[in-house]
Amino acid sequence: MTKTMKLLLASCGTFALVGAAAADTVRIGITQNNVGIDSYQTTYEQAFIAAAEANPDVEVIVLDAGGDVARQISQMQDLIQQRVDAIIIWPTDGQALVPAVRNAHREGIPVVVTNSNIAEAGMEFIAAFSGPNNIQQGIYSAEMMCDALGGEGQIVQITGMPGYTTAIERQRGFDERLAELCPGVTQLDIQPGDWNRERAQRTMETLLTRFDQIDGVYSGDDNMGVGALNAALAAGRAEGMVFIGATNFAVGYDAMGRGEYWGSVYQSPVDDARAALQTALDVLAGEDVPKLNYFDTPKITQENMHEFDRPVF
Amino acid sequence: MLMTRLKAGGPAIAKQGILVAFIVFMIAFSLMSDRFLSADNIMSVFRQSAIIGVMAIGATIVVIGGNLDLSVGSMLSFATVLVVDLHDKIGPELAIPVMVLATLCLGAINGFLIGILRLNSLIVTLGMLSAIQGLVLIYSGGQNVDIVDQRGTWFAIFGRGAVFGIATPIIIFGTLALIFHIIMTTMPFGRRVHAVGGNPTASVFSGIPRSRVVFMTYLISALCVAIAAIILGSRVMGSQNNVGQGYELQVLAAVILGGTSLLGGSGSILRTVLGVLMLAFIQNGLILMGQPYYTQWLVTWVVIIVAVWLDVAAKRGRLFSPIA
Repeated sequence: MTKTMKLLLASCGTFALVGAAAADTVRIGITQNNVGIDSYQTTYEQAFIAAAEANPDVEVIVLDAGGDVARQISQMQDLIQQRVDAIIIWPTDGQALVPAVRNAHREGIPVVVTNSNIAEAGMEFIAAFSGPNNIQQGIYSAEMMCDALGGEGQIVQITGMPGYTTAIERQRGFDERLAELCPGVTQLDIQPGDWNRERAQRTMETLLTRFDQIDGVYSGDDNMGVGALNAALAAGRAEGMVFIGATNFAVGYDAMGRGEYWGSVYQSPVDDARAALQTALDVLAGEDVPKLNYFDTPKITQENMHEFDRPVF
Repeated sequence: MLMTRLKAGGPAIAKQGILVAFIVFMIAFSLMSDRFLSADNIMSVFRQSAIIGVMAIGATIVVIGGNLDLSVGSMLSFATVLVVDLHDKIGPELAIPVMVLATLCLGAINGFLIGILRLNSLIVTLGMLSAIQGLVLIYSGGQNVDIVDQRGTWFAIFGRGAVFGIATPIIIFGTLALIFHIIMTTMPFGRRVHAVGGNPTASVFSGIPRSRVVFMTYLISALCVAIAAIILGSRVMGSQNNVGQGYELQVLAAVILGGTSLLGGSGSILRTVLGVLMLAFIQNGLILMGQPYYTQWLVTWVVIIVAVWLDVAAKRGRLFSPIA
């Protein structure tokens, strides 16, 4: 593509923006990761559409990549062709989507990344990121663990799928904060649960065999946390054991209500979706939007759980 | 050195390459962790292996019949989501038969396409792997399903219960393995499956209803998946939409490790059981030794390849192929 053509296309993009502003409605395209694969993403999509419908000035084009990188790249191209005013993307792969995001940027279409961030190389091409701060979530979990154990004890950690950004960041936040805040708490072992409750249950059973004394368990999400709790209950060793999770699931919420589960981090897909749409609107309104927009994911414990709705997933 | 022992042992031991590998492995692990051979740990591993194990019984029969079944992973997701979801809607006494019937229907589709229409089993079941996963997502709308009253339901017996001090999953796994071992070794159906897998053309000339036999193997595989789903659903009391993802490879690994020929015609349920246990003990042993997860992936597959090699070597009486 020649420079002139690029320039031409870029100016077209500007015209589209101006045109949209004149009509007072904005067209926003979203390409999601894999709707339907889990409750979080399903609820996210529903909440996103609801939020867009509630705003008469917004028209949305909702697409789903079905977890397929190639399909998401072509969806990005389609959205660029349709000259939407902004694109929201939930990357199927933070690295592979960088060129597609760069294309949109070159065409003058602002890109907002939602939920899981794009790779570092793509940061200069995006208008903003909107999503949870997974490192902060790990820090919160470490603080709750420290709190619950009174600064002393031996714990094990069950992480998400090895290699996933969310799993890595939560573990990093947890490990670093725990070491700094609570040197009296030692981590006996860290093993993956692959975001799978049965796998986490199996792992925990083996850890219970290996260690006579386990005071606490930190799991990368509540789904795995409940698997670990199941294992401890079956072994008759759940009494006095502290279970801390992340991404509060309905099963974790219920276990907290029964007093078996100590705490977690409340992450609402509804907040996530609304924050993404709002970030895109702020960008289009020309507001000075920071690069990283984290929505609030507070600690939830047995004590304050009544302030939160039971998660829908 | 191992080789000389195998040779010295004569033909009887030569057929048991997997057993030798299993024993060597167990001794090595027990030397490295004192908890490895404790009664509690052994029972725990048996219980953990029941889900993969029950599925592997059906898969072994399919493979002996000369085919593959890669759809068992998503079929497990389907069956588990269905039985858990229906548990709270129509009660376990109805949820179980409805789920079993629905899962058998999926097996029948496999059986029809591969047995009657004679399509390639790898392609059909790989396609079914995705298709059934899609079906699960349509059914559940992406939502996880959970059983609300986990303490009160009698459904808990299958995954969490025990009879005479032995965990129910172990009893189910053991009983099924024994029944199907007897069927495969002593009954006409078993001989027919071997014949169809060993030489399809000859089997047809011998008057064996090849299509029907292959169809039945897929029905049995689906039945085993349904039973595994009951154990899984009851053990976890909930299900994710992709809970069975990747199980098809673990099942296949256990079957291969058990020495069942992927070309069909030969194999044994009891040896598959050994393969299942070996995989479960490897995963358990490495965690007991405090090894990080990536060594588990590495060691698991190294062991599978070495065991397959030992097995082949034992059969032909030497470690390396005589033909250069």
